[in-house]
Amino acid sequence: MKILQSSEINRMEELEKIPDPSRRRFFQLAGGMAGAGLLFSACHPVTKPTDIYLGSGDIALLNFLYVLEQMEADFYTKAVTGLYLGISSNEHLALVDVRDQEIGHREYIKSLLGTTNASAPVITNFSNVNFADRTSVLTNASVLEDLVIAGFNGAAGLFTNTSYPLSFLKLVSVEGRHSAYFRDALSHNNFADTTVVDINGLNQSMTPSVVLASAQQFLTSRFDSSNLP
Amino acid sequence: MDLRNILSEIGKTDPEVYEKLSGRRQVLKNFGSKVAVAALPLAVASMFSKAYGKTTSAIIDALNFALELEYMEFNFYHEANNVTSLGLIPAADQPGFLAIEAHEKAHVTFLITTITALGGTPFKPNHYSDATSAPPYIPAAYDFRASSNTVYAPLFANVFNDYPTFLIAAQTFEDSHIRAVNGQMSNWAGNAVFAQMQQLLATEGRHAAFIRLIRRNLGAVTAPEVPAPWITNNIPPSFPVGSTVTSGNIVLQPFYNGEDNTVQSGIDISTLTDTGSPTGYVPQLSASAAFDEPLTQTAYSSLIAPFILP
Repeated sequence: MKILQSSEINRMEELEKIPDPSRRRFFQLAGGMAGAGLLFSACHPVTKPTDIYLGSGDIALLNFLYVLEQMEADFYTKAVTGLYLGISSNEHLALVDVRDQEIGHREYIKSLLGTTNASAPVITNFSNVNFADRTSVLTNASVLEDLVIAGFNGAAGLFTNTSYPLSFLKLVSVEGRHSAYFRDALSHNNFADTTVVDINGLNQSMTPSVVLASAQQFLTSRFDSSNLP
Repeated sequence: MDLRNILSEIGKTDPEVYEKLSGRRQVLKNFGSKVAVAALPLAVASMFSKAYGKTTSAIIDALNFALELEYMEFNFYHEANNVTSLGLIPAADQPGFLAIEAHEKAHVTFLITTITALGGTPFKPNHYSDATSAPPYIPAAYDFRASSNTVYAPLFANVFNDYPTFLIAAQTFEDSHIRAVNGQMSNWAGNAVFAQMQQLLATEGRHAAFIRLIRRNLGAVTAPEVPAPWITNNIPPSFPVGSTVTSGNIVLQPFYNGEDNTVQSGIDISTLTDTGSPTGYVPQLSASAAFDEPLTQTAYSSLIAPFILP
């Protein structure tokens, strides 16, 4: 019989909580005759067992933000490992600093989650990025930063425990600084154009599921976000 | 709906939920018997808004404080872009400062609309009488030279005639504006306004980075501390080499005090693992820069008092 991963066990527990009479009846029927692995796949044919399960509620939101910060930290780690051609000392310093700040964000969210709740580490895919080329690095950095800001903004109102968004707002304005830096380095005065700031002067916000779908372009890992608010 | 399940779920992430609700124990006891079933959702909603949300007046007061700051910034940039000295801002940087002015103007309008929708009365600056522009440009309300600063006056004597001085003022206002609004966010916890104000703060972060980049690119003579786009520890902008301003840094220091904090939610970011760093941990400078720190309304009001005319 298949040995379940802890994330799958969590997932099973979550499924059991769902107050759907038909699903509960299905569990009762299926429980006696099927192995847990079969049951798992039968319930959710869309997701694969290899998908990273994000959890539900606040935990899912934290794991979602953890995915975003892992993606950023990994991008800058690669950018610093193989610096783009002709990089100036100021731009080099900034890249290293942003990498360390994003690692700080990543490890902070991981600490908030704790080992029990943190989802598995993600595998990134930056095959479309040319790390030797300044324009490619700066362009993708600003895309990543804008996406992450939109994700934090979209998640802010969804937490049950409001102490989480209160702790993240302090890093969101810093992500705004990062984005503005990369955008301005690419094209002066372009730090906050109408694609990211609306007519109220508010920075873009997107729901976690929309952000996650867009983030897939940088990720090999796939996710089970079925219980992501 | 099973209330105990809800409480149990919240308790997993917020162990203090029962304490926060303790004043409403009687309400909990009453759920089974006295409260009509139809009234349950409302009663539950009310219980949580009392525990986690703030009163509407606290929400409005905090929004009005944010509005006061936006008026000040709008007037600052409007003056710089349009009025006192055309030519202050180099043509190459003008589009950026026009964008910032437009954002601050939009923030004023947004906050007035939000405060009004919540049933509050929007803040009006002193000398408010201009009905022809919204938000109004009110030069009589502000003294951006800080002529009455008690430590060193005027702090920004040539703020609208000298680009480096203007940039020092702009950087100080942007960085500390983020900190002051940051300090108000707990008033909006649990309210839809929270996410919107976070969106506003992200825009202000973009402004601050733009101004800091311009200063950095002007060189070490004009901006001796060579600012990064983010705040390095608690270092305020330095006046240019040869500046006649002798105590400026002392005046600006309080705008940055506390920015060197590295502890978030009880976790010291500088003790977290960073395999890219030579020490194996997140460097202290990055741990500090990775988060903008709050300022209280009391502290910030006294800091900006020299710029506001009675």
